[in-house]
Amino acid sequence: MNNVIAKSKDVTLLEILDRVLNKGVIISGDIVISVADVDLIYLGLKVLLSSVETMEKLRGSPFISPMQEAK
Amino acid sequence: MTRQQFVYLYCVAGREPELKETEGLSKDLCVVCHNDLYAVACKVEEEEFGQEGLKHNMADFEWVKAKASAHERIIELVMADTDVIPFKFGTLFNTNDSLKAMLEQYGDEFKMILGRLEDKEEWGVKIYCNPEKLKANLGNNDSEILKIEDEIKSSSVGKSYFLKKKKDELIEKTLNERINECGQESFKLLKELSFEARINRLLPKEVTEREDDMVLNSAFLVDREEVGDFQNMVDTLRMRYEDKGLFIDRTGPWPPYNFCGLSREKVQNE
Repeated sequence: MNNVIAKSKDVTLLEILDRVLNKGVIISGDIVISVADVDLIYLGLKVLLSSVETMEKLRGSPFISPMQEAK
Repeated sequence: MTRQQFVYLYCVAGREPELKETEGLSKDLCVVCHNDLYAVACKVEEEEFGQEGLKHNMADFEWVKAKASAHERIIELVMADTDVIPFKFGTLFNTNDSLKAMLEQYGDEFKMILGRLEDKEEWGVKIYCNPEKLKANLGNNDSEILKIEDEIKSSSVGKSYFLKKKKDELIEKTLNERINECGQESFKLLKELSFEARINRLLPKEVTEREDDMVLNSAFLVDREEVGDFQNMVDTLRMRYEDKGLFIDRTGPWPPYNFCGLSREKVQNE
């Protein structure tokens, strides 16, 4: 049971990261974090959370083909 | 020695947030008011968020985790008081004045977005699939698969080998069809109860650390009055799919990260 709870917490953290790092209003502040830096976030995630292929998979197309990912 | 500081923007609101219970959060949290908009921000050190420091920190998962979680918590805190436009992680300004200039420049758009988001909540819905369970369920219900199984029983060794291969292919195809059907059905039914809906990329198992596969990752902007109906619909779908090896997971309410307009393209074009 504890294991299940711990896992669901991980997913929530993942959801937080997925939203906070990838969504929300994107505006050029004075200091612009370039695309390269955003990729660095993934580098960090990739190294610590998953395998090398993850990034490719993360960028893969949705399973449900008729619907496109929102921009 | 003076150390340079930046202004880190979390979110913009149309009403002044009270910011109660800031315990454990940044001590430098502040509200910058301009053009009838309230920006919730905090001072950060150049050492940490400057080009060099950031590059270093972004590769440190523990740092990213702590900062991203704080980003989320602060926006949720504001969200308890008023509707918010959440900003992406790491939106930085040199001074409060340049933040105000941004509030001036995008003021009309922010007000329009806030009007659209009024009394609405973002909810996340994901569907996970346990392929083995779904496969077992398919075998008992699909007439074509049952037919092949019958043929295999009454076939020679050679022929049954090919029939088994055919059966596996059929199962794979039916499996994908069933996943698509359930995904589309739930997305459609939940969309009908929402103001807006989005489908996002799927996250792989290595990242979700679940044993089943994510087959739908969606987000919905739901009117507060409709949230009850929306949740009931998720429960209905969960019961409907339970025996089929599909699990439907709901999270929220989230700040409306997926529905705050002002797309990347638009900003870049300006």
